[in-house]
Amino acid sequence: MFLSGFGPLILAGTWVTLKLSLLSLLLSMLIGLAGASSKLAKTSLLRGWATAYTTLIRSVPDLVLMLLLFYSLQLGLNQCTEALGMEQIDIDPFLAGVVTLAFIYGAYFTETFRGAFLSVPAGQIEAAIAYGMTPWQSFRRVLFPQMMRFALPGIANNWQVLIKATALVSIIGLADIVKATQDAGKATMQMFLFAVVGALMYLLITTVSNLLLIWLENHYSAGVRKAVL
Amino acid sequence: MYKLTVNGLHKKYGQHEVLKGVSLKAKAGDVISIIGSSGSGKSTFLRCINFLEQPCAGEISLNGELLQTVLDKKGSQRARDPKQLQKMRTELSMVFQHFNLWSHMTVLENIMEAPMHVLGLSRAEALQRARKYLAKVGLTEQQENKYPAHLSGGQQQRVAIARALAMEPEVMLFDEPTSALDPELVGEVLRVMQALAEEGRTMVVVTHEMGFARNVSNHVIFLHQGRIEEEGHPAQVLSQPKSERLQQFLSGSLK
Repeated sequence: MFLSGFGPLILAGTWVTLKLSLLSLLLSMLIGLAGASSKLAKTSLLRGWATAYTTLIRSVPDLVLMLLLFYSLQLGLNQCTEALGMEQIDIDPFLAGVVTLAFIYGAYFTETFRGAFLSVPAGQIEAAIAYGMTPWQSFRRVLFPQMMRFALPGIANNWQVLIKATALVSIIGLADIVKATQDAGKATMQMFLFAVVGALMYLLITTVSNLLLIWLENHYSAGVRKAVL
Repeated sequence: MYKLTVNGLHKKYGQHEVLKGVSLKAKAGDVISIIGSSGSGKSTFLRCINFLEQPCAGEISLNGELLQTVLDKKGSQRARDPKQLQKMRTELSMVFQHFNLWSHMTVLENIMEAPMHVLGLSRAEALQRARKYLAKVGLTEQQENKYPAHLSGGQQQRVAIARALAMEPEVMLFDEPTSALDPELVGEVLRVMQALAEEGRTMVVVTHEMGFARNVSNHVIFLHQGRIEEEGHPAQVLSQPKSERLQQFLSGSLK
């Protein structure tokens, strides 16, 4: 029988990994945009917060942060519910995984976007303002599309690291690719085979996303003259 | 009635005062050239008119409507109502030294962008306007789907002028429109500007082109160290300069 009947379990695990990475990607990109805007803001308070956030997150290992955030979230919630005399609310591991990953990778996206924002020539925004665009319009119509071109290589990089970092959530009890293939390996005594299957699943996800990113890079490079060596 | 009046504009960068009370009045159809050596404040003055830079003091009115301002903590003026400033900017199209065409948009998209998204024109109306003004600046339909990076400097600046025209502005502001161009491309841009002047458009032009100032404009302002040193009709100001500064400036710039 194909994969000793563990096929559906592994597919389910792949689906969990995919959902987890896509949701964390979305959330971390939003955090990144907000973080980059704060770091480039005129208000020193915003700049201070954003700097503290990126410095702290980027200097602690993902695994440590994950344990810290996941367990401290639950402990904090327990204290609240106890104080209020309520029953314990268990944090959904999936949700906790998404929030934790987004919080970590938001810091990396902050730096990616900050660099990209700085790469857009000031004259492009000046022209938008001079033609009566509102700040939101100049962001949406001029700054964002131009910034994306500079940000995409960084986004692609962060995305790959993020997909692989989702493997860490198996330690907080999520049935992702790693968990599913490990379980299958243990049950069938074929650890190596199922480790390879797990690796292939990650390879599949990253390959498909690389193709998508190449298309996106072309899309956002419209109007760029390429230098040929 | 004046289209544009600027009264007693002051601008400081820290302790350094770059504009020390500069005024300007433009009637419909006036073409005003602002000349002066680099650092005289002429570009800053132009950029203060549409608030790309915030002056510290002074008044700006367009068609008799005064721009309402408040002072911020740093002592720079801010528009009291951002909507009023945005509306004023749509009536004051600017042409930049480095063109500043939006590099991710084609020629046509560049020209249609603000008429559609700021003025609220339909796509069809904006397209019609874009084609009309592209023809006016001498570009063909073959060029309309190109990106700015694939055009020469002179073509880019003419697209930028078409973009400014498509707003059908009250006054056009030109910030050294030929300074970034190769010498052989200057002519094509100046000819377009001369045609606009002959149509009776109101223009304020910061320029180093003395030929343009002399032959096309009907008023010349010579700025020196943030003040108007001399102004008047070009025939008089450029041919019989009274101030020593202007005499020096002109003897240096006339080859």
